[in-house]
Amino acid sequence: MPSLVCTGADVAAARLIQLTYWYPNSAVPALSEVSLDFSEGITLVAGPSGGGKSTLLRVLNGLVPHFHGGRISGRADVAGADIIRTPTRNLARTVGFVFQDPELQAVYDVVEREVAFGLENIGVPAAAMRDRVDEALGEAGVMHLARRRVRTLSGGERQRVAIASVLAMQPRLVVLDEPTSQLDDEGASLVISSAIRMAQAGHSVVISEHRLERLTQVAENVVVVDRGTAEVRQPSAWRPIRLTMDATIGRSPGAEAWSLSGVTAGPGGRPVLQDVNLAGRRGELVALSGPNGGGKTTLLRVIAGSLEPLAGKVERRPGRIAYLPQNPTALLHRPTVRSEVRLTLDRAREPDDPDQMLATLGLLAMAERYPRDLSSGERQRAALAAVLPGRPDLVLLDEPTRGMDPFARGALIKVVAALRDAGSAIVLATHDAELRDALADRVVTVCGGMVTEQPAMRT
Amino acid sequence: MNARTVAAWSAACLFIVLFTTNPAYKLIVLLAAFTTLAASAGIRRMRRLLVGVACIGIVDVVLNFVSAHLGRTILFSLPDSIPALGGVYTLEALASGLSGAITIAAAIFAAAPFSLMLQPHDVMDALPRALSRTGTAIAASMNLVSMVGTTFTEVTEAQRLRGWRPRGPASWAEVVVPVVLTSAEGSIQLAESMEARGFGSATRTTFQRPKLGNGDWLVIAASSLAAAGFVAASAMGWASDWYAYPSLSAPRIGLAPLAACLLLFVPVLMWPRRA
Repeated sequence: MPSLVCTGADVAAARLIQLTYWYPNSAVPALSEVSLDFSEGITLVAGPSGGGKSTLLRVLNGLVPHFHGGRISGRADVAGADIIRTPTRNLARTVGFVFQDPELQAVYDVVEREVAFGLENIGVPAAAMRDRVDEALGEAGVMHLARRRVRTLSGGERQRVAIASVLAMQPRLVVLDEPTSQLDDEGASLVISSAIRMAQAGHSVVISEHRLERLTQVAENVVVVDRGTAEVRQPSAWRPIRLTMDATIGRSPGAEAWSLSGVTAGPGGRPVLQDVNLAGRRGELVALSGPNGGGKTTLLRVIAGSLEPLAGKVERRPGRIAYLPQNPTALLHRPTVRSEVRLTLDRAREPDDPDQMLATLGLLAMAERYPRDLSSGERQRAALAAVLPGRPDLVLLDEPTRGMDPFARGALIKVVAALRDAGSAIVLATHDAELRDALADRVVTVCGGMVTEQPAMRT
Repeated sequence: MNARTVAAWSAACLFIVLFTTNPAYKLIVLLAAFTTLAASAGIRRMRRLLVGVACIGIVDVVLNFVSAHLGRTILFSLPDSIPALGGVYTLEALASGLSGAITIAAAIFAAAPFSLMLQPHDVMDALPRALSRTGTAIAASMNLVSMVGTTFTEVTEAQRLRGWRPRGPASWAEVVVPVVLTSAEGSIQLAESMEARGFGSATRTTFQRPKLGNGDWLVIAASSLAAAGFVAASAMGWASDWYAYPSLSAPRIGLAPLAACLLLFVPVLMWPRRA
């Protein structure tokens, strides 16, 4: 039996002993003999996509196994309560959980009501609720949003409202599952600041993140989860894997592949882009950056021809378009990952072997798996594999590295660089500065419907 | 705005419009419901509703005109040999269809404040404690409706660019399957989020139990009086019924039932205009 690994010196907020967990109908455990203590301060959970990070986090509030089913062995306690025997809803007072997708957490339409939702559920008297809601809004730095409609908030604001909702319940342990994966730099920075403030206020914070720079400086411990096993590292002795760039520098761009002249566009007749003039060439990679809601996705849709402009002219050279939407699961509907890739190749009448793309993106081992059973990072790669095979003329990628670990990002860079060097015109919208700096020939900032060109910083 | 007040007013409108067969009273209720909505929610926000109601109304009138070959005032006739359509077409059938359309329109406008003027939490707060959990689950699931629409657009665009083209019903599986699966996954994630925040762990309390103000009491009193007054007027024989068949006659209007119906206009003065 492996010895218990402590992630902090103080009394444990949560403790896992020899914990092994199998998802329903799975012969391979998602977590294998994990023994961990979670104490005060920030514990950073890192590791490759599909390694078991989200499963580990879901054990801490009992969603695994109570919500997801499956088999579990070993012991898991949080603040003295047996997680395996206590339903998630009863652990809610002790463990707060912030999910990855800010769109799918809100129950109410108004911020302060949303923050009060958990308190209503656990039967807090109305007289005590007001103070706790205000306190939580203040702690999460969103007091000014109290009366706002949730649907009008940016991703970063929504995620901080989700944090406030958790804080209102005054949990001992706060768990955040990749809370910034869908946020722009500013939104991510605010969420990470909130996490740091929570730790300073005495909560134990367990956070799974791919934006590690700030967190490694303040984390008490790092837990690396890979292939279902967990290993504790000291932050001082652990360095996150940096993205290495060995993509070849692109050749000189060719003829113009697409152009927008005086384009005003937006969904539902509401202009999101105003009078945009922009063009891209074959063999050139244009990176779109800018805040959430700035118009990057609208710009990609206009270039793709999915959204007709309200004014102005869009021109594209004829040819195949490979488009990765913001929500990669929008694409996945075939029974296996391999059949997703084959479908695209068959439609494009290209003779390539699907396994070539799967191997490049590190998906060969999952080729026969159902795409929607994969982790979020793996799904993202499966969706990329489904759109990128063959020789697309125009490649449009909306946040392609969302939820990806450094290895997967490295593989993506190789694929995209190869397409660019083969003459594809590429436009990618991304918050990922490393990806942008590694690949972009040109960087265009899209903000408030306007575009401005920045100098590229190819590493 | 208090959901219980809205419920009282809506119930009174619905009660009268379903209780009477007289299209004159139905029309007054329709006008009361429409004016109240227009004053509070604004015509702009009602546009889709108006189009929907107009479509349903037209279908109802046409269907009745085409299928009910009754009445004495014949407008024209088609040979009986034409299946379903053959027979006489009468003014009475047209009037009966019109009366039905007024009923449907009044009922829809009377219920519309729940979606146009109230937030889901307003309705949930007004529910009795025993229904609070069910109401919360329903309100949460309503959040997913807009997500389904967005997902449909996203999936259709993505699949088109991947080479999909709509060729017959079977081809739509490539759009419908991902939309259904993505929506199901969305609802599972929302359920996870609710469970993680203690949903179902104890008897629910409410952040803000809405209080009834003087204006609310006035609307409730007017609505109750309208319903009760209309029943009383009917019992006294002052609210005469109306039948389109066998021959058309103008509906008669009594003063007392008319006054009862006019009480339904009170919210026009009491309910604030929504921003």
